[in-house]
Amino acid sequence: MQNVSSKKYVIVFLITLGVFAMVFLLSNYLYSQRITQVKSLEDNINRNILESEIQYALLADASCETDASNNPLMIDEINSLSKRLSFMEDQRGTDDAEVIALKKYYSLLQVKDYLLLRERAKQCGQKPSTILYFYSNNGDCIDCQKMGYVLTSMRESYDQLHIYAFDYNIGLSVVDTLKSIYKLDNVQPILVINRKPYYGFKTQQEIEALMPELAQMTASSTKATSTPKKATLTKSVK
Amino acid sequence: MTYLANFLVYGLLFLTMYFEVFLLVTYFEEKDEFSTDKPQKDRMPGKYPTVTIVVPAWNEGKTIIGTVNSLLAMNYPKDRLTLFIIDDGSTDDTLTVAKTFEGNPRVRVFSKENGGKYTALNLGIEHCTTDLIGCLDADSFVDSLALREIIPYFDNPEVMAVTPSVQIHNPRNILQKMQETEYMIGEFSRKVFSRINGLYVTPGPFSIYRREVFARIGNFVHAYNTEDMEMALRLQSHRMKIENAHTAFVYTVSPKSPRALYKQRVRWVSGFLMNAVYNYRFMFLSRKHGNLGLLVLPFAFISIFIALFFTILYVRSVLHFIYERYIQYLALGFHPHLRFGNFDWFSVDLGFRVLIIYALFFTMIFFIIMGVRMARKRVSFSIMYFLALYGFIAPFWLARSLFNLIMAKDTHWR
Repeated sequence: MQNVSSKKYVIVFLITLGVFAMVFLLSNYLYSQRITQVKSLEDNINRNILESEIQYALLADASCETDASNNPLMIDEINSLSKRLSFMEDQRGTDDAEVIALKKYYSLLQVKDYLLLRERAKQCGQKPSTILYFYSNNGDCIDCQKMGYVLTSMRESYDQLHIYAFDYNIGLSVVDTLKSIYKLDNVQPILVINRKPYYGFKTQQEIEALMPELAQMTASSTKATSTPKKATLTKSVK
Repeated sequence: MTYLANFLVYGLLFLTMYFEVFLLVTYFEEKDEFSTDKPQKDRMPGKYPTVTIVVPAWNEGKTIIGTVNSLLAMNYPKDRLTLFIIDDGSTDDTLTVAKTFEGNPRVRVFSKENGGKYTALNLGIEHCTTDLIGCLDADSFVDSLALREIIPYFDNPEVMAVTPSVQIHNPRNILQKMQETEYMIGEFSRKVFSRINGLYVTPGPFSIYRREVFARIGNFVHAYNTEDMEMALRLQSHRMKIENAHTAFVYTVSPKSPRALYKQRVRWVSGFLMNAVYNYRFMFLSRKHGNLGLLVLPFAFISIFIALFFTILYVRSVLHFIYERYIQYLALGFHPHLRFGNFDWFSVDLGFRVLIIYALFFTMIFFIIMGVRMARKRVSFSIMYFLALYGFIAPFWLARSLFNLIMAKDTHWR
């Protein structure tokens, strides 16, 4: 019989187990850091909205004199948040509780921003360009992925275009309220433009035809250069 | 299903990690044995064993001169070394070229009908009267000190065979440079295997045996065209010790075309699978056969499935990526979005599975670097060719070999 050291086999097993445990802890730590990063981004956006609300309350009509392009939300931050949520959804799956919680908060922030934008528009007599986009992540909507790419591209092309994307099935009462306000059918993708719902995939040209005011907007070259790696509206907002 | 798939993925990753850790632990346990700085001491002239080197050749007219010249140029007492050139029914000028060496008293030339490499080796064994006998493929060349580096291992009476360090001769194209790095992993792993009695190949280029081995366990057999692998398994099954002389350098001409490489590797891997599964499966998981039976052979077998499994996962992710780009194209046409975009640390995947794969990857890099050091070379750009290409092309010969095993299909030399 050849010499076999059982002790060595056990030690190697323990080392391997140790390596696995360390890597597991490291990946959990890195994941929690990412969650913290996303939460901090959401907090930042929330604070920004609150600031804008207070600013409107304090200055009333005077706030209309501020730069019209001064969006209550920081577009870069919301894009970044959207992109990161999309990545986390890729990594952890669409049914991950933590990702869903972050997405719900993200949806609330979007609704809050939408309401603030409308309030401001009412006060200042402006007509903001907004699109409400409802998608499904249940794997039953290939067009949602395409729609996501088009909207992400438009979000980068038109810096005054406000796109709010909601997971149709997220199970959030606020989103359900929006669905009932606009009397939406369960057929995604859905675009709500000027309060009117449009079903099915729309190309950029088709959307531009529905929103003639876009032609007046200056395309933002700076935004175009900061195109994120993935279509940010494709997953978390798909 | 997801649970089962995850269990399979992490189970296979754990097995791979276990194997790599085993090699690392062995290396750190016996680090001194991996040294390349120990010069071999000269012996008294009579203390050098007599050696016969058999050079089987079939249509090797172009390379055999270099092979024989490298053997004749070896730094070894002339009266202790004999060369047998055995022409295995070549249809080119191999025999004519071989006969030009007949004037040398140390060289004997034999000619026979074509019967395969193992028959040529056996003819050499039949005529051999020396203490040791070795083989050198007629497309390989030895370093002048190779035999001197090997001989000391036979001072241990338990050692029945010694394998050399096989390197790629003059790698020129990308494919050969890729193989050069692959051989560096072999350089390191062969030494580690020798430390745990786990060698299961005595390579054709310059493995040396005690002559008595063949009297005890028989001559070479066809063994699915991998007679060197079968001989090593037979030695191991009789619990005969095989050592590795990592400083005995031998240089072999490597396939330079994808087709030639594919054929060579299908022959090797099929040979391993068929020999192991059909004839030596009793050694698998057998404590009686030591680390070879408990660890090396089972892992060598499973690693084929592991490689194919992860290739499937990789191909799936590549197809998914292509599909996403296609959808993007359908949505936007040729748009700036189709470019790769800016790098964002957040989008770097640092999940558990990926980090484990990184750990395995860096361990492999360590093996390559150790192999390079042992081969007294420098880390070169060849590593990049290996990293970029090997994972894409190896699955082809692994899959084909598995098919051959299932269909019991034999391979051909060329």
